[in-house]
Amino acid sequence: MGVLSEHVIEEIRGLPAQFPDIRSAVMPALDLAQEHVGYLSPEAMSEVAELLKLDPGYVQGVATFYTLFHTEPVGKHRMYLCTNISCKLRGADDLLAHAMQSVGVGGQSEVSADGLFSVEAVECLGACEYAPMMRLDHSYHYDLTAEKIDALIAERKNVLPIHGEVPAKPAEGPPAAPAKPARKRAAAPRKKKADA
Amino acid sequence: MPELRGTTKGPVLTRWFGTDNLHTLDVYEKLGGYGAMRKALTTMNPDQIVQEVKDSGLRGRGGADFSTGVKWSLMPKESALPMHLVVNADESEPGSAKDRYLMENSPHMLLEGIGIAAFAIRSHQAWIYIRGEYDGPYERLVTAIGEMKKKGYIGPKPFGADWPLDVRIFRGHGAYICGEEGALLESLEGKRAQPRAWKPPYPAQKGVWNRPTTVNNVETISTVPWIIENGGAAYAKLGTEKSHGTRMFTVSGHVQRPGNYEMEIGKTYRDLIEGLAGGALPGHTIKAWWPGGSSSPVMPGDLLDTTTDLDGVKNVANLKSHPQPPLNMGGRAFATMGGSGGVIVMDESFCMVKAAHRLLQFYAHESCGKCTPCRVGGNWAVRAYERILSGEGGTEDLGILDRIQDGLQAGRCLCGLGDAAGWVIASTLTHYRSEYEEHALHNVCSAEMAAVNATSPLAGRTNA
Repeated sequence: MGVLSEHVIEEIRGLPAQFPDIRSAVMPALDLAQEHVGYLSPEAMSEVAELLKLDPGYVQGVATFYTLFHTEPVGKHRMYLCTNISCKLRGADDLLAHAMQSVGVGGQSEVSADGLFSVEAVECLGACEYAPMMRLDHSYHYDLTAEKIDALIAERKNVLPIHGEVPAKPAEGPPAAPAKPARKRAAAPRKKKADA
Repeated sequence: MPELRGTTKGPVLTRWFGTDNLHTLDVYEKLGGYGAMRKALTTMNPDQIVQEVKDSGLRGRGGADFSTGVKWSLMPKESALPMHLVVNADESEPGSAKDRYLMENSPHMLLEGIGIAAFAIRSHQAWIYIRGEYDGPYERLVTAIGEMKKKGYIGPKPFGADWPLDVRIFRGHGAYICGEEGALLESLEGKRAQPRAWKPPYPAQKGVWNRPTTVNNVETISTVPWIIENGGAAYAKLGTEKSHGTRMFTVSGHVQRPGNYEMEIGKTYRDLIEGLAGGALPGHTIKAWWPGGSSSPVMPGDLLDTTTDLDGVKNVANLKSHPQPPLNMGGRAFATMGGSGGVIVMDESFCMVKAAHRLLQFYAHESCGKCTPCRVGGNWAVRAYERILSGEGGTEDLGILDRIQDGLQAGRCLCGLGDAAGWVIASTLTHYRSEYEEHALHNVCSAEMAAVNATSPLAGRTNA
């Protein structure tokens, strides 16, 4: 069986009708597949190619060109930190190092041990008046500081940041994601508060 | 929504900014919005609109400065194939955020402009190509288009005119090169975004899906309603003799009030940076500034009196007091350019070699790989910068950078990305050669030392 579920397949089948040429549907289709699977696995790309009756190599060629398509597993939450000139002038490099350390990744291709986060240094995101800034999943966060980043991380770990206290019992974990069996999830780290 | 940082109640584009809920159709229309679209569709014909925009002197605000009216007049008056208006909302130039500011605060201004522009070029279907990272503006546009459909402003008979109109949005997926017209059209066709080996045929002849197409920037299209409402002559009165109107500037970096400012063309960058944006941070001085995104050649801090008109900025008079960087655009020498209006300000605490290194990393990363000078040159330069900054450089690395900047410029690549990368090296190497030499020959960074000295307990003492 394929990796895409029935409703995603239906949606992808409906895409070509919106464009004069079927190829234009490839990016929206890859987008749907990525939302569903978490990243664009070779199987997901093949299925998109089959649904749109396009060559799998062509689909892979498009997927690998654009930076918002991930062909390797990424965290449940993706932090895209702008490190281009306007943000760099306002301290983005230190924030990138801080974010990586806080979620516990050593490089941009890594996913945190709990599977929750990946951190990526990206080019200008077009919000230079609010530098330094980042995009976390689907929203922008402005005037970043190390504290703000830690609060956003804690929020997503469902740990309330109350004056540095560690809550007695961890709140609910993230919903199980059966679509990502490859990801190992360590039990302990979720409890821990991010090292400040 | 975060606090607005930039002009509110400006002369043209931002005249209604700061009004609560301006992004809704009701508020926008109550203030006078959609009057221009109604006027255009019910009382004017396409040729009259094109003439009005020609009279206004409006030039493309995406960075290329091409006359908007002339561009529209290149579209065929009759075509067997459908024709398209494509709005370039793939704002990715480092330091530029004005299109985001316009779209998220006043999406209906863009959509009204689209309605008028599509009618003027005889197109029934417009596409907005918006960069994938812009989730907020995308949501705003989707909602706004829904409101318009409900009112019938998008549909079979907008304002009763027999002119069916359809507006669609296409989301990009993270590629700077999509801001280039040809690459954008390739991307819209579902391909890897690589510039086309034009021209001719121009997009007006063969654009997206081989159909006649006009590509315009968000700011350009957003200006159109004002021009139709007040007349091209009124717009032409603003600005200078050759560069008319107002334009948006994004000021970022080492200034007190970063923001998106609307300013009449012809005032100086000093008015913008020291006036509207509040000038340098306390205790610092402006060392360098980029007039129009990182792709415009850098300018030294003492040339802030350069005017913002699109021609003046290319021929900076005072530049004579500085060594002239070897810049070349299709055989024409120039000082710098207005570009996309993204003004980046840097003070003395930051090292120019490090800034140039970061920008070259950007151009190397964003090169689409089609043209050899850009594909190879960018990475080559990054490696030279890495040697210089790690203390392993020498005079030969400065020579290598000099050769690379020459190889990248002068239209040796299909699009401007290669030129822009070359200009970064050429302009920084000319104006800040001493910093390069300090790094390459002596492994010393004066900017870093100045920053350390400023925070040292001995700062300010003499003969310490």
